[in-house]
Amino acid sequence: MNFSSVRYLIREGFRNIWQNRLMAFASVGVLVSCLLLTGGAYMAFVNIEHIFKWAYGQNVVVAFAREDCTDEQLDMLMDKISGITNVEKVKFISKEQSLLKYKDSIPDTVYEEMQGENNPYLDAFEITFADLGKFDQTITQIKQIPEIDSTVYSDDIAHKLTNIRQVVLMVSLWIILMLLIVSLFIIANTIKLTVYNRRLEISIMKSVGATNAFVRIPFMLEGIVLGVSAGAIAYGIICLLYSKLYDVFGTSMIGGLVSFDSVWHTILFGFIAIGAWTGMTGSAFSMRKYLKDQGGISGVL
Amino acid sequence: MIEFKGVHKTYDNGVKALKDVNIMIEKGEFVFIVGASGAGKSTFLKLMMREEVPSAGEVIVNNYKLSKLKRREIPYLRRTMGIVFQDFRLINNMTVFDNVAFAMRVTGSSYRNIRKRVPYILGLVGLQNKARSFPAELSGGEQQRVGLARALVNNPSLIIADEPTGNIDPELSFEIVELLTEINRRGTTILMVTHERDLVRMFHHRVIEIRDGCVVSDVAARKRTDKAAFHEAGAVDATGIFPSAKQGGEI
Repeated sequence: MNFSSVRYLIREGFRNIWQNRLMAFASVGVLVSCLLLTGGAYMAFVNIEHIFKWAYGQNVVVAFAREDCTDEQLDMLMDKISGITNVEKVKFISKEQSLLKYKDSIPDTVYEEMQGENNPYLDAFEITFADLGKFDQTITQIKQIPEIDSTVYSDDIAHKLTNIRQVVLMVSLWIILMLLIVSLFIIANTIKLTVYNRRLEISIMKSVGATNAFVRIPFMLEGIVLGVSAGAIAYGIICLLYSKLYDVFGTSMIGGLVSFDSVWHTILFGFIAIGAWTGMTGSAFSMRKYLKDQGGISGVL
Repeated sequence: MIEFKGVHKTYDNGVKALKDVNIMIEKGEFVFIVGASGAGKSTFLKLMMREEVPSAGEVIVNNYKLSKLKRREIPYLRRTMGIVFQDFRLINNMTVFDNVAFAMRVTGSSYRNIRKRVPYILGLVGLQNKARSFPAELSGGEQQRVGLARALVNNPSLIIADEPTGNIDPELSFEIVELLTEINRRGTTILMVTHERDLVRMFHHRVIEIRDGCVVSDVAARKRTDKAAFHEAGAVDATGIFPSAKQGGEI
């Protein structure tokens, strides 16, 4: 393909949009709505994930060391626990620290008697898990360490949180998938109308020997431009709306909201990529169908 | 150049459009294909353009065996032919120049080549002064000449004209056929489908008649164009529509 052809095809792509500007405007509008819903579902998912992470952080497992552990053994135990894959954070709490917590609630004489070897508490480790989905197996791993005396945890909360998270994940994915399919149909329909409007030109192109690729390229370009424009507009809107939302609820909610700065690139590139992909695929789908079923030279008008 | 060998065409709905058609058209011939509506003329053309494939038999056009032609090779077959439509098929929001240039653009010609070639072809069909006009500003005969220019612009060896005079006045029909005859004199094979028997009688070209899907007669060309008969019938003289072509040279 020579330079003249490339220039011609690009010009045709933009001419298509201009000639069908009302339809193009309508489809960009609907596509923007779809992307906003997709983006909204994504942001909701990201924030729910954030809340779960915060909740995971609150769900601490306490592991008590055996009473006869020496300081060296306690250091080794700390390393062993930290070495478990799913363990995110480990905090050592000595039995003296534990006793100190209750100093105000017990008489001073009793507190004094509890010092030293009479201290009823055990040295302990506060452990936070990275993924509560692997709660049971991680607990088993901790219990298998010989220096561990016992553990205290609430597996019920862990399991409930994991179940809710999985439901949220599935619902979000389905919403995003459905909206993508809707977007694809919108673009395909727009291009179908454009193709219908230009069937005379297509029949002439076919009659003089234009290849299917040559016929298809301007329409695919049109789809991509519409998709990318919708992506950019949707990004702008979601950026504006989420920033307002963050200003109001950013810190007041449990666990806080995820700031837009940490997700802007995912949203921007995601929207542009989804827009370009739906535009290109929708156009290709419409053109393929048209060229196969009706894209002949005669009898199309 | 064009060969139909035992061609049958039956559509999915059971209609037998062509039955055992055997035709040989040599390079440089001018052939009228005549027949009533529904006789099978359109199917004949569709097979040549590879819009349809025969149910049996073989069609060979410009050395392409059409039954063995792959889909991706069809555009290259079509570049060896120019097609003129009954309804002109001009793009109304494009000028005459752009309508003709369109055929070159979509086959990948350079801008430089287009700028050189289109005015030349418009001169051949007598429309050099109408390059900036839009189709709506032209008469039916002029519109069809634009259609002819578009068919010619890629220098095909075969022109297929599907009832090119069907939508224009009888006096202008003569102009168009004379133009086609002049193009034919320069070596381009012309295949013109028509049901206007008077017009066929005036030009002594080969005539193939199709009736009920069968070739019922094939009359060889005679030597002279009997223009006088046409004038007697009240048509106007078409002198001057092909000024550059009359000076000779290739199209």
